[in-house]
Amino acid sequence: MTGSHRRILVVEDDPETAGQLLEQLTSSGYQVDLASTGDEALSRGATCDYAVITIDRMLPDIDGIAVMRQLRDDGIAAPFLIISALGEVDDRVRGLRAGGDDYLVKPFSFLELLARLEALGRRSETIAKETILRVGDLAIDLISRTASRRGKEILLLPREFQLLEYLARNEGHVVSRAMLLQHVWDLHFDPSTNIIDVYVGRLRRKVDDQQAYPLIHTVRGVGYCLRAPG
Amino acid sequence: MLLAKTLTSLTFKLALIAIATFGVIVSVIFSYVYLSTTAYVRNRSDRAIVTESSSLRDAYEKSGRDALIDIIRQRTSDKSFTGHVYALADPSLTLLGGNLAKWPSEPSRPSGWTEFRAAPLPNAADPPLVRAILETFPSGDRLLVGRDISDLDSFTAQIKLAVISGVALIFLLAMMASILVTRRTVARIEQINATSRAIMQTGLDKRIPLRGTHDEWDRVAENLNLMLERIETLMGEVKQVSDNVAHDLRTPLTRMRGRLEKAYHGARNSDADQLLIGDTIADLDAVLRIFSSITRIAQIETQARKDAFRNVNLVEIACEVVELYDAAAEQDGTRLSVTGAREALVTGDRDLIFDAIANLVDNAIKHGRGGGKVVVAIENGDGGPLISIADDGPGIPPDEREHVFKRFYRLEQSRYTPGNGLGLSLVAAVARLHGARIEMLDNAPGLQFNLRFAPPAP
Repeated sequence: MTGSHRRILVVEDDPETAGQLLEQLTSSGYQVDLASTGDEALSRGATCDYAVITIDRMLPDIDGIAVMRQLRDDGIAAPFLIISALGEVDDRVRGLRAGGDDYLVKPFSFLELLARLEALGRRSETIAKETILRVGDLAIDLISRTASRRGKEILLLPREFQLLEYLARNEGHVVSRAMLLQHVWDLHFDPSTNIIDVYVGRLRRKVDDQQAYPLIHTVRGVGYCLRAPG
Repeated sequence: MLLAKTLTSLTFKLALIAIATFGVIVSVIFSYVYLSTTAYVRNRSDRAIVTESSSLRDAYEKSGRDALIDIIRQRTSDKSFTGHVYALADPSLTLLGGNLAKWPSEPSRPSGWTEFRAAPLPNAADPPLVRAILETFPSGDRLLVGRDISDLDSFTAQIKLAVISGVALIFLLAMMASILVTRRTVARIEQINATSRAIMQTGLDKRIPLRGTHDEWDRVAENLNLMLERIETLMGEVKQVSDNVAHDLRTPLTRMRGRLEKAYHGARNSDADQLLIGDTIADLDAVLRIFSSITRIAQIETQARKDAFRNVNLVEIACEVVELYDAAAEQDGTRLSVTGAREALVTGDRDLIFDAIANLVDNAIKHGRGGGKVVVAIENGDGGPLISIADDGPGIPPDEREHVFKRFYRLEQSRYTPGNGLGLSLVAAVARLHGARIEMLDNAPGLQFNLRFAPPAP
């Protein structure tokens, strides 16, 4: 990420939440601008180039969705992360349909927010054209849809391949369980069981068992990260 | 009070309109009967007078004045001619014959019809009313032939009285009947109103009294009572749920509070604090999950999502669920498989159906036999697609099956396995939204859950 693309706009009307976000995001290396009303969001969003804009659905003056539409109409291309206490799938779908790029339900863990911000920021700068993704000694062939380590093929079910591909595309970054459900299974709800962990567990056994080093790492409280040592 | 309500009620107003319409029709019919009867009677007597008059005129013209006087004398003395009136007068109106005491003073006209009161005839008390025809001969002599129509007059008067009193009686009876009927209606409605007011003031335990007549009012009352019962049950369930929510939320909240309080009063210790904070976040997440499950079920139950319905393939969704739970089943040693049709279309919401099937599969794996098998089968039945999820575990006793859909209901045996008891409530809510029927069958051993969907919309 370039310097200018560590700059994000946080639109949030609750001062305490805004303060926490400012503090945590700044310490994670972001430059953060705050807007507490829809009007402020409109004027800031139009004047500065942001890597990501996070927007609350319920603002004191204008609906967050309306702000987002207005900024899109003004030609602002920055990805939007909608943050809302209206958590149901319907609101989520409505938000995404209105031009949001991702959706997060309050209350959320900060690590989850960070994972999504990273993913959104990357999406705006890289459109991968490679046909083979490499992480350490792991090679993922996107054409033949096979994976191998040190040239030895790993037998994967189609869904397991998708899961591994998603982890590899986010190499070195944390992806949350909800993000996996959303992008690998196209599910927009939390099945409230440890089903993802079990699934990743099986993938991990196939990928990491009897290898020189593990690639799939569990990040406590959030999800998983695929990275090579060193 | 009741009378005032009766008189202002809609039923009574409608009855009044009916009475008025009916009354007008009856009056017209009766007037017609009255008029045509009197006209007929009068016509007959007039024709007789005209005939008599012309025969006398013929006699006068043929045989002269004296012959006519003779004929008149004969007639007036003949008993069978009682009630007939004759008078013959010369041009100066001096009577030459007949049974009148004097030429009636009013009819000075030379010819035509006349009516007058004559001097009392012998044997008659009242001065009779006479209707007569006048004729003047070319010689100037004048002839009057008529009849006593007093009887006729009183006959028509009687008909008139009968007609008027008949109409009045009908009106009176109709009015009384409509007041009685309306009163009955108003009384029943008032009973329902009184019950409604009592319910608003005191509570849902009141019921509308039935009369046991099995009429439409009793049916209305019965249905309202059933509705009240249903509402009361639902209210009871809501209360039960909120009690359960309170209980299930209070437990982790109390834990968190105690933990934080202890840490607050104790000395800072980074390792212990980290552990404590981690546990607290985990508890908080559990609370939030319960919370979002409840709102999710509530939202599904408002039926708002039907807009997003489209045709989806049940088999495809089932395969995705099985694929997702494949790893979990493997870990548990359970064999999880899909069989049956290759395509089964239903109209619905993919995410919700996925969620429902996932919950059922999750339950089957968790509560089935470790190392057993779970079979998801889809078939296209006559009534529509059917998906069944069967395990070979201990099953659910028949008398407990009905309760498992209640929110937070958990069998004693599963109290200590993870889960918040909301899964089957969600399945039930999704099924209701899709108009699908849930069945629980004995899989001997184990439990089979069936979801019977309606055929897809064309």
